[in-house]
Amino acid sequence: MTAFLGTVGVGLGLVGAIGGAATLAMALFSRRREHHRRVFWWVGAMTAGCVLAVLAMEVGLLRDDFSMQYVAANSTRATPWLYKIATLWGALEGSLLLWALVLSGYVTAVSISFRRRIEDRLVAWALLTMLAVCVFFFGLLAAPADPFGTLLVAPLDGDGLNPLLRNHPLMAIHPVMLYLGYVGFTVPFGFAVAALITGRVGEGWLVTTRVWTLIAWGSLTVGILLGAWWSYEVLGWGGYWAWDPVENASLLPWLTGTAFLHSVIVQERRGMLRVWNLSLLLATFALTIFGTFLTRSGVIDSVHEFSASSLGPLLLGLFAAILVVSVALIGWRGDQLRSPGSIDSPVSREGAFLANNLLFTLFAFIVLLGTVFPLIVEAINNDQLAVGRPYFDRMLLPLGVALLLVMGIAPLLTWRSTSAHLLGNRALGPAALGALTMAAAVWLGAEGFGPVLGIGLGGFVIGSAVRHLVLTARRQGWRAATGRAGGGMVAHIGVSLLAFGFIASTSFSEEGEFQLRPGEVGSVAGHQIRFVQLTDEMDGPNRVVRAQIEVEGRGIYAPAITQYPTFGRPIATPSVATSLVDDVYLSLVAIPEENSDVVVVRVLVEPLVGWIWVGGFVIAAGTVLAIVPERRKRHSEMEDIVA
Amino acid sequence: MNTRLWVSWLCVMIVACGSLLVAAVAEDPPATEAQRAYEIKATILCPVCDGQNVLESNAPVATAIRAQVDELVEQGRSDEEIRAWMARQYGSDVNAIPPRTGIASLVWIVPVFVAVVSIGALVFAFVRWRAGRELEVSDEDLRIVRALREKK
Repeated sequence: MTAFLGTVGVGLGLVGAIGGAATLAMALFSRRREHHRRVFWWVGAMTAGCVLAVLAMEVGLLRDDFSMQYVAANSTRATPWLYKIATLWGALEGSLLLWALVLSGYVTAVSISFRRRIEDRLVAWALLTMLAVCVFFFGLLAAPADPFGTLLVAPLDGDGLNPLLRNHPLMAIHPVMLYLGYVGFTVPFGFAVAALITGRVGEGWLVTTRVWTLIAWGSLTVGILLGAWWSYEVLGWGGYWAWDPVENASLLPWLTGTAFLHSVIVQERRGMLRVWNLSLLLATFALTIFGTFLTRSGVIDSVHEFSASSLGPLLLGLFAAILVVSVALIGWRGDQLRSPGSIDSPVSREGAFLANNLLFTLFAFIVLLGTVFPLIVEAINNDQLAVGRPYFDRMLLPLGVALLLVMGIAPLLTWRSTSAHLLGNRALGPAALGALTMAAAVWLGAEGFGPVLGIGLGGFVIGSAVRHLVLTARRQGWRAATGRAGGGMVAHIGVSLLAFGFIASTSFSEEGEFQLRPGEVGSVAGHQIRFVQLTDEMDGPNRVVRAQIEVEGRGIYAPAITQYPTFGRPIATPSVATSLVDDVYLSLVAIPEENSDVVVVRVLVEPLVGWIWVGGFVIAAGTVLAIVPERRKRHSEMEDIVA
Repeated sequence: MNTRLWVSWLCVMIVACGSLLVAAVAEDPPATEAQRAYEIKATILCPVCDGQNVLESNAPVATAIRAQVDELVEQGRSDEEIRAWMARQYGSDVNAIPPRTGIASLVWIVPVFVAVVSIGALVFAFVRWRAGRELEVSDEDLRIVRALREKK
């Protein structure tokens, strides 16, 4: 019954999406304005259907309805209720259902927000584009990735997810945030396509979609960082970013999206870079589909990989279709996209935005190349090769340093051109802060040219962001931190904090491995750890071995290692003694031998890891502040000239 | 620029360059065998676990590879020899660093090429913008500006 309701929901969703798209298409071609409004009924039906399908799946999961194939394959009776809910996005079909839900939510929000402008051809085309994407995803759910298949004989208990996916609450939030970001880029994509089709390629559609782009970007940022945090807390290797293909797939649209958020300012202000901005948006959306293809087709090996499925060709087809349509539309509107303006000097705000864009797109290109290169080589001459972390570090760290430099300089520059004298004056304070940060880092024991340079540039970025905020606050008070410029500067501070945490934890970490009996002590980087005792319990069918370890001055922590009967290798669950200065990361290397009380503990001391999460929070806060409208009305170019 | 600004910048530069110099000198190259072995292990991927290197992985084969690296370093083999040995033993995709020969070298060359081309394109764009900068001001433009000024 539940599965049947789910199937009905998916069917209603598909019919709603097709009906909505057809209604809008007919209204647009027949130019009968009064017909546009009918689309709202279809959107409502689609969303209601999707909600019904998601509810059916959740009910099935919570009530252990193992006659549903998805529930039997991915849930167990013993799974706690939070993870039962989260199992919706734990496997292929369910994750597409979540995708459809988020997409329906966005389409509904756009419909409500633009309900008075639906007769506007720009809005109608944008909604039509989004509905076309809906048709694709509901189509996947209807046939090749049907989440509501049933079993003739229901098993007594299900198989359950990979245990890694059900032992931390972050798993319940990270995918949702990531999807809010990923799917959210469908909205600006729709408007970009609409702008090209209607020929209204001026700045209007950009202003219209600004908030939507920011919401998508902010959610994606938070989603990626939550994933990194989860990996740090759960996977037990002590890191948070591995340049894994699926991590890269989530980073790619973030990179092009970030480039877009910056270069769009040049267009709004100067009317330039129209083709470029459109291309960045179209590429961002295309990359989200490409990332989905990488994760769900089984072409790559990754911890994130979903079960291999037949969706690969379909997703690749959608990706190709987006590329072809994008290129064709830009080619078709080429003449109208040419903008008359020019950039006077590279030493100017717009020059800095161009440098930003160059670095971000180069960054994205290298990430993309490194991710797909093993596939390309294998296709050409069947060679197996890996492109691992050392490659990405070597290629991308210099770009990261350059980005920090541009981030520090850009807020100091004026539009059009900046004289050396003015820049010298404005940059002095931030540069002094940067130099002092370096000196402090060296005094605290930092070593190495690259890391210390990066830390210094982080200080420089904070200096120039704070300078901007303080100067604006003199006129506007706390509202200085709102609007695009203010929120942007807050986000820049967050990026610097994140950079400090990243640099310190990767460059200055120390580690040790100890074999300890109860009462014995080990020491890493000035931290003493003492093994107190071992507990060995059965938690249901799972054997959990826990070591109580006292970290001097921080209390007792209990890293564990669990043997699941349905899963081969034992899974280590690390335990982290966190502070703002450094983290002491404890993980058990193996299940201790029978009748032995010796444990093998790996201890990692990583400075400033906590700053990464704090930095992420500040970036999120900056994004929210950027959505708050500025009080001061934007000067138009004309007013600037006249003044 | 006035003198005070110059002096201030000089101080900032001295502090910055001094810190960088101290930091660069303080970082000693991996001298001991243990350090060399550590660096090699960080670039060899565990063959059975996706994307982790053998330092991070607890899988039995990773433990075995760690021991093999220690042994080979002790025998005085060079980094390249050890890497080649690992590739023969466990497949060429355990090497996290793509080789610099053959078709694989493209992964190193192409980004540099793209970077050079795009910087070149940007420079070209600036040169063209600079050339086309002398915009002609029509009488109509002047009239609009004058009208706006009077309004003020």
